[in-house]
Amino acid sequence: MSTSAQDTSFIAEALPAFISEANEQIEQLEQLLLQLEDAPGDRELLDALFRCAHTVKGSAGIFGLDRVVAFTHHVETLLDRLRDGALQLTPELSTLLLQSNDQIRALVAAAGGALDDTDEALRVREALVQRLQAASGAGPAGPDVAHAATAIAAPAAGDAGRRWHLSARFGADTFRNGMDPLAIVNYVRGLGSIPRIVCDASAVPPLDAIDPESCHLAFEFGLDTPATRDEIEAAFSFVRDDCALHLIAPGASARDFAALIDAMPDNPRLGDILVAVGAITRVQLNEALQRQAALSDAGAAAPLGEILQARSGVSPQVVDAALQKQKQKKQRDAGASAPGEDNRFIRVQADRLDAVINLLGELVIASAGASMLARQARQGSLIEANQQIGSLVEEIRNGTLQLRMVPIGETFSRFRRVVRDTAAELGKDVLLLVVGAETELDKSVVERIADPLMHLVRNGLDHGLETPAERVAAGKPAQGRLTLSACHESGSILIRIVDDGRGIDRDKVLARAWERGLVEPGTVPPDADILKLIFEPGFSTAEKVTNLSGRGVGMDVVRRNIEALRGSVTIASEAGQGSCIEIRLPLTLAIIDGFLIGVGASKFIFPLDAVVEVIENRPTATALDARGRSIVELRGQTLPVVSLRALYGLDGPEPERCSVVVIKSGAQRYGVRVDTLLGQHQTVIKPLGRMFRSLRGMSGSSILGNGEVALIFDANSLGELAAAAPRGAHQRVGETS
Amino acid sequence: MTAALELPPELTIYTVGELHAPWRAWLAALRESSTATADVHAAAVEELDAAGLQLLVALFNGAAQAQVALRLVDASRALLAGCEALGLTPLLGVARDTEGAAA
Repeated sequence: MSTSAQDTSFIAEALPAFISEANEQIEQLEQLLLQLEDAPGDRELLDALFRCAHTVKGSAGIFGLDRVVAFTHHVETLLDRLRDGALQLTPELSTLLLQSNDQIRALVAAAGGALDDTDEALRVREALVQRLQAASGAGPAGPDVAHAATAIAAPAAGDAGRRWHLSARFGADTFRNGMDPLAIVNYVRGLGSIPRIVCDASAVPPLDAIDPESCHLAFEFGLDTPATRDEIEAAFSFVRDDCALHLIAPGASARDFAALIDAMPDNPRLGDILVAVGAITRVQLNEALQRQAALSDAGAAAPLGEILQARSGVSPQVVDAALQKQKQKKQRDAGASAPGEDNRFIRVQADRLDAVINLLGELVIASAGASMLARQARQGSLIEANQQIGSLVEEIRNGTLQLRMVPIGETFSRFRRVVRDTAAELGKDVLLLVVGAETELDKSVVERIADPLMHLVRNGLDHGLETPAERVAAGKPAQGRLTLSACHESGSILIRIVDDGRGIDRDKVLARAWERGLVEPGTVPPDADILKLIFEPGFSTAEKVTNLSGRGVGMDVVRRNIEALRGSVTIASEAGQGSCIEIRLPLTLAIIDGFLIGVGASKFIFPLDAVVEVIENRPTATALDARGRSIVELRGQTLPVVSLRALYGLDGPEPERCSVVVIKSGAQRYGVRVDTLLGQHQTVIKPLGRMFRSLRGMSGSSILGNGEVALIFDANSLGELAAAAPRGAHQRVGETS
Repeated sequence: MTAALELPPELTIYTVGELHAPWRAWLAALRESSTATADVHAAAVEELDAAGLQLLVALFNGAAQAQVALRLVDASRALLAGCEALGLTPLLGVARDTEGAAA
């Protein structure tokens, strides 16, 4: 059937949504498969797996993506055998399924681009299909479905050309739900062949009485197919709620049709139709009808079905069981929502959300401006009204930014597959632990951190963790451990990749640095700096350039990508014990709570999450060293303090009394001496332009209510700057080191 | 004799709503004029789905009720295929003529 222009444009519009949802199913499939490896007999996992494959196949069918449908069908068959218990999961089978899932992923992606198969791709796919079929067929032949109802005889596996009987009465809303019985029947025909099909035309009202958009179609037909009951029923899965479907397995007798007739008492012509389609003979039907007539004459009218039953001695239990099974199946299909609980979520286009957040930023600035004017006007009621607006804006801000937050666990889950495959490839036994998967961060950050994380994980697997033999020789357990953890800390998100491998060999690193001229040969920088050398471009101590890492292009790109996100990466390591890579990222890129301070004529903002406390009104008498640093005592502990005025060379006379803002950066604290404290401020972050990229200690700028620009500090880099080695008396902060 | 009913190129869920009234009018005209037989020209049908076929069945049912014999003439390939697929060939009296026979 050709598609009309309407259909084509609908498909073009809907295809991206299909691809996105299909990809979710495919991801879910992979996660479930990996879980299944640890719990091979878990019935719920197997059911969920089957449903995922089934959903992908069904949706692909709607879009006419035949290759996806055909391939996924084989995967479905194999999954079906698994969940029936006809097959056991082995590691090879698991790998086959994972690879097949990759193939499905590739096919779905190709469907979006309508690419033609390359010969190579085709060959790969066919090889997979063969393996899938071999694996499915390898299971022991047995009864198809071992459930209570056996009124319907079970077909032996592997026989071709077994004739089923199908009775399908499509519900009134079938058309309205977007389903087309013609397409469904044609699809079923594709499972084998339909020798004869009869439509119950009497069920269709005459023209004057009919509602053309309601469906009154019912069909009885035979189906010659080697497919299983589930496969046949699967063809009707999208109309299941609406369609009365009865399947009678091959080898059934007249009694089985009795059950069918009995199940549809309000269909008087059913007997005729069954004869017409060849399910029972006219003789059998007539006998049954005569019997019924005789009974009704005697005053005891019994439904046709009962009569047929009574005469041939089929126990009512069996029929009940058949009906029960039907009901259960209906309930199961109705109750089984797609794994992932799609009904709790709304799909939103990312750029629309970004547009809202942009407007929100403008709103924050505008509201700040209004508040300031209100204060200047000194009108109490106006000030109060603006305060209320301000707090509402803050709530909306928090809520909206929340919308962009996603748990990092989704990214971490993808690594399970990588770790599994990579560890296997390298012959290492690795346990991946994930901690804090529910930690949320901004979606765009998640997307951009995935690749650097992947590289670091691969690195750890490749260089950090040893083979089981090496580990045992070193007195460690044979299984290595790789831990991915995430948590919130002082306004940032902290991601750690920890392994218990061989750690970083400092001597090797130093030797390579000398070799590459990164460090003056012969000099030995402090320990922490040696480790930082790893992030220099072109650096790699790997003697062997493996597929995964060792080309030396990795770590510096990783650091650059992280720094592009206004984040930082550090590495700590103990020889023989393992390494820990810490990545720090800002929680949001857009709007934060800030603390506004003034130095001279300039204004600056500290992220409020980094501010621990404020020491007000300290006399400025404390001596500052040449770099503007001094010490302050705070509750019995010393606190290093840096003067912003000195650090940034700001002009203007110093006031008699100043304040110290205590900032925390990681585990450390330091103080910053400022002139005035201007209080909390909702800060809309505007990125610094290219010209200012070399500005150290700053992470952005913000526009205040009165139009002034305030620069935003980054607690970590400011601390580093303050602690940095002196380069000269009048070093301007704008120069790069 | 009343003019034949021309089936449109598209006989699907998208068009059955609009076709219902004109078809009813045509059937009413047949009843009025006590016609015994009438033709339905089906050469133009290109797009077909179950909803369209259902309306056709309803038409034939209604005609049968009114004791009018309808004849489907020059059935297009698409219509033939659809009727065969859903087992409607006997009802609609669709025959494979030499002209327009499906391959």
